Amino acid sequence: MNIPLLSIIIIIYLLVIGYLGFLGYRGTKSDRDFNIAGRQIHPYIMAISYGATFISTSAIVGFGGAAGVFGMGLLWLTFLNIALGVAVAFIVFGKRTRKMGLNLEAHTFPEFLGKRYDSKFIQVLGGVVIFVFMPLYAGVVLIGAARFIESTLNINFVLALAIFSIVIASYVIAGGLKGVMYTDSLQGTIMFVGMAALLILTYKSLGGIIPAHQALTDMASRVPESLAAAGHQGWTAMPALGSPLWWSLVSTIILGVGIGVLAQPQLVVRFMTVKSNKELNRAVFIGGIFILFMTGAAFIVGALSNVYFFNSSGNIAIAEAGGNTDLIIPAFINMAMPQWFVYIFMMTLLAAAMSTLSSQFHAMGTSFSRDIIGTGSRTSENEEGQKPRNGLLVTKAGVMLGIIISVILGYYLPISIIARGTALFFGVCAAVFLPMYICGLYWKRTSKAGAVSGMIAGLAVSVFWMFFVHKANASMLKLVVVLTGRESLFGFPWNAVDPILVAFPLALIVTIIVTLFTRPVPAAVVEKSFK
Amino acid sequence: MLGFSGVSIFLAYILCILSTVFCIIYGVVMWNKDK
Repeated sequence: MNIPLLSIIIIIYLLVIGYLGFLGYRGTKSDRDFNIAGRQIHPYIMAISYGATFISTSAIVGFGGAAGVFGMGLLWLTFLNIALGVAVAFIVFGKRTRKMGLNLEAHTFPEFLGKRYDSKFIQVLGGVVIFVFMPLYAGVVLIGAARFIESTLNINFVLALAIFSIVIASYVIAGGLKGVMYTDSLQGTIMFVGMAALLILTYKSLGGIIPAHQALTDMASRVPESLAAAGHQGWTAMPALGSPLWWSLVSTIILGVGIGVLAQPQLVVRFMTVKSNKELNRAVFIGGIFILFMTGAAFIVGALSNVYFFNSSGNIAIAEAGGNTDLIIPAFINMAMPQWFVYIFMMTLLAAAMSTLSSQFHAMGTSFSRDIIGTGSRTSENEEGQKPRNGLLVTKAGVMLGIIISVILGYYLPISIIARGTALFFGVCAAVFLPMYICGLYWKRTSKAGAVSGMIAGLAVSVFWMFFVHKANASMLKLVVVLTGRESLFGFPWNAVDPILVAFPLALIVTIIVTLFTRPVPAAVVEKSFK
Repeated sequence: MLGFSGVSIFLAYILCILSTVFCIIYGVVMWNKDK
């Protein structure tokens, strides 16, 4: 690795990021500009920004490494990411969200839900959920990126963490969502080029698409006994139905992430950044291709790395990585790919981390000011221009606070808890927001009491299941171990069921039942929402 | 099928491609309709 050359590439990249952040700063005159990019974003920028925010380094390295262990079964997650995360999200949810967000003059996801149900409580609790759980998710990405910079550029970890945080903070605070989305579009383009090249080079190095798959199929006898006992049937077959591996793959990885993406506050707000539904229609085209090459490439390459490692050293991927799944993709890149590609992949990972983090920091800042403090959320967008920019100052303070909390959590919390940050955030968001989001968009009758009840039930069940039942979380969070001496209150398969599969359906049922027995939202609010 | 041993993986691989093709066709059709 030529450190001076990589440093020059990174400096040029940061200068371009700085310029794009400056463009965002120059175009940010009001709360609406800072929070939702003035509702004027180009469909290419919107689609790439959505994808780049969604795909972090953990999706490429973490889940790509998981594919090295589980095999190609993760492609079901790629399918859900495209079908639910792009097609359904943009067409079924996105269009109504954009229109309703405009009617209600909402700038954040909790504000959107709060105004739809005429409930300040929903807005504040939604903001608190984001501000409490999102720093855990941001902490995962932040610490991973700082470790990556530390190892590639040979600089001190704390220095890497500080520089990285300051760079992102500067363009988020100066440029608002315009700065975030302009830089996302560059970062997403780098990611697309990097991952598309990785997929093509991998297939080429293994003799083509079908020969590569066949070689992986022929390795089924190489599955370690411990994995075979847990249900592993080879890297081109799903684990045995109902086995522990099957539950881990289907429940936590495929459904947990596949459903969880629909209620991510930093993604939903993207729908409110475009001028009309025309832009969303065009964004579907770009988003589908982008996600296919992001997660599809990571999962296929992760699984196929087994063939490369076996041919070159006689080991399977997880053995080559010393048992650490996070090292499978980096080890494969360093050993199997040409030197020039290593630099491209470094930039891909840096771009993936920065694009996800900038949106997380922005979402935390806007939630702090609009939802928790309440700055500007009762001001009409038409009046906004004549008011002093106190709202922006509070939002920027919220961004800073969010970054500081994320850094502190990431630095001081044990790695076992930080490693669960992504799953915790996805699970809580799906349980708390998704039932009332779906009902709010498609069921005019949904009542405030129904939405609030579903929200509280979702939060309570989700947190309970994480701390006391779902073994992967509960054994790391330790509370159930301290109280009962066991790793879960229930046995298999309940302890393998992801919280999202229990909390989301329960919250949806509670929302519907309570709605049927309570007064609907005032007609004027419903009329304004759906006009 | 395509070198996979499991029907489920073959199906996932095909569905990934088909869902992307749907996104492309939807985008192109709506793009022309919106003009």
